Amino acid sequence: MSTILDLHTHSEASEDSRAPVEAYLNWIKLRQAERPVDGIVLTEHRQFNRDADYRHLEDKFGTLVLRASEVETNYGHMLVFGVNDDMVARFDFADVRLDAQTLIDEVARMGGIVVPCHPGRPNIGLYEHYQSRPPLENVVAVEALNGGSRKGEDERSAELIAKYGFAATGGSDSHLVSLIGLCATKFSAYIKTIDDLVRELKTGNYEPVDFRPRRKTVPHAVAMESR
Amino acid sequence: MAVNYDPALINKTFEITEPVEVKADKIKRYCAALGETNPIYTDEEAAKKGPYGGIVAPPSFAVTFRNGRHFFDNVPRFGLRGFDAGKDVEFVAPIRPGDQVTLSSHVKEIYEKTGRTGTMVFVVIRSTLKNQNDQVLAHIDHRFMNRP
Amino acid sequence: MNSFEEINIGDTLGPLELFVSKDQCRAYARTMGMGEGAGRFTDDEAARKEGLPGMIIPGNMSLGLLSKLVTDWIGSSNAWLTRMNTTYRVPVQPDHTVTIHGFITNKNPEERTTEIDVWMENEESERLVTGTATVEFRK
Repeated sequence: MSTILDLHTHSEASEDSRAPVEAYLNWIKLRQAERPVDGIVLTEHRQFNRDADYRHLEDKFGTLVLRASEVETNYGHMLVFGVNDDMVARFDFADVRLDAQTLIDEVARMGGIVVPCHPGRPNIGLYEHYQSRPPLENVVAVEALNGGSRKGEDERSAELIAKYGFAATGGSDSHLVSLIGLCATKFSAYIKTIDDLVRELKTGNYEPVDFRPRRKTVPHAVAMESR
Repeated sequence: MAVNYDPALINKTFEITEPVEVKADKIKRYCAALGETNPIYTDEEAAKKGPYGGIVAPPSFAVTFRNGRHFFDNVPRFGLRGFDAGKDVEFVAPIRPGDQVTLSSHVKEIYEKTGRTGTMVFVVIRSTLKNQNDQVLAHIDHRFMNRP
Repeated sequence: MNSFEEINIGDTLGPLELFVSKDQCRAYARTMGMGEGAGRFTDDEAARKEGLPGMIIPGNMSLGLLSKLVTDWIGSSNAWLTRMNTTYRVPVQPDHTVTIHGFITNKNPEERTTEIDVWMENEESERLVTGTATVEFRK
């Protein structure tokens, strides 16, 4: 039994989103035919909300809600899965200059996994840093598809993945309700908990899936009304 | 490493600005610049029958009150370039021609994040717009992004 | 427009396709009396000196256009745009076609409010400006 999860999402807990988790789950229900995701992972910016409890919403919508974090390092932004008290004590998640190699190694030692996200994005993605500095060690997977990518960014991510043989994930990076589930990751295993997810992410046994609509052709633009 | 700033800056109101009169012509030109055609903003006769009993400015007009150097002299600068990164506006009451609008502002928050263009310091300024009757018209959180 | 009761989550506003010319961008900047830093909104050369690809549309103008999608939808009813939150993700260049999208994402029957996602995208489907709006349906 496979599981499709949107591994990269931001709710109103992030400073740059107003999206309530409940509205995300409702939107997934509404768009199930086009975006058949089984669950979402909340990756709030520079924080881990240890006490957030979404069980009532999981029950109401039958959609899995897991929690992780998106942190900022000297090699760009990275998703941290399997966050526990040891990691929160070891790292200041609000620090925008975390050392990437230390983070990757320490999180692995403490039982989690770090997945660099939007690697093809300027400045905050791995690709650009790899042009001028030595590659990081012990990277298992990177985010191949990101719902917020600009033109060329996913292509650069693909180039990096081909060169280094990384496993590849997908996530919407949604900050708006209606953008949830546009990109996701398909696991061949059944995932029910964050421990299941961390275990599966370490195996590399998954693939990114793209549910973004194809661009419709614009017939013609209306000139702005002027005086 | 966090951003260095004087914590006393937070929540301290700047000097409240002198009132600025909302001219009917300014609303008209604002509407023209945005291609606005809604009669409640553009047509006096139609607006009289509308929900506000006369012409009002489009809600977004609230963000156009710059009140001279009010911000630029008071906002802490952390880089060479400042950019408008976004706004969160609460529209409380319609702005009408003839309103005398004052603006009071304070620094709400300062934080750091990294993006496509590098390390950025965000300064959030909250402004409250009031009219001559001390009625609140809008609250605006301006997110200013500073980068080298 | 529909009454509050007739609105459904998933309903769309627009899409509205617009071609904003450089002259319209300059007219907005001039109308708003933008003094300091206005070069980037009126002149390609001044904008390039600031590391931009050319003239850009003021953030406030984008906010105005996103708000207009919502107020066009409201029309002359007594529904009221109570909140608009915008993020300027990518500089918006004039002399291009942009498309403005809106989706109803939530309804609160007690407060009679709806939440709306709004964004402006370019010809490459890149989202340049994103936002959320709240509309209150006053009785």
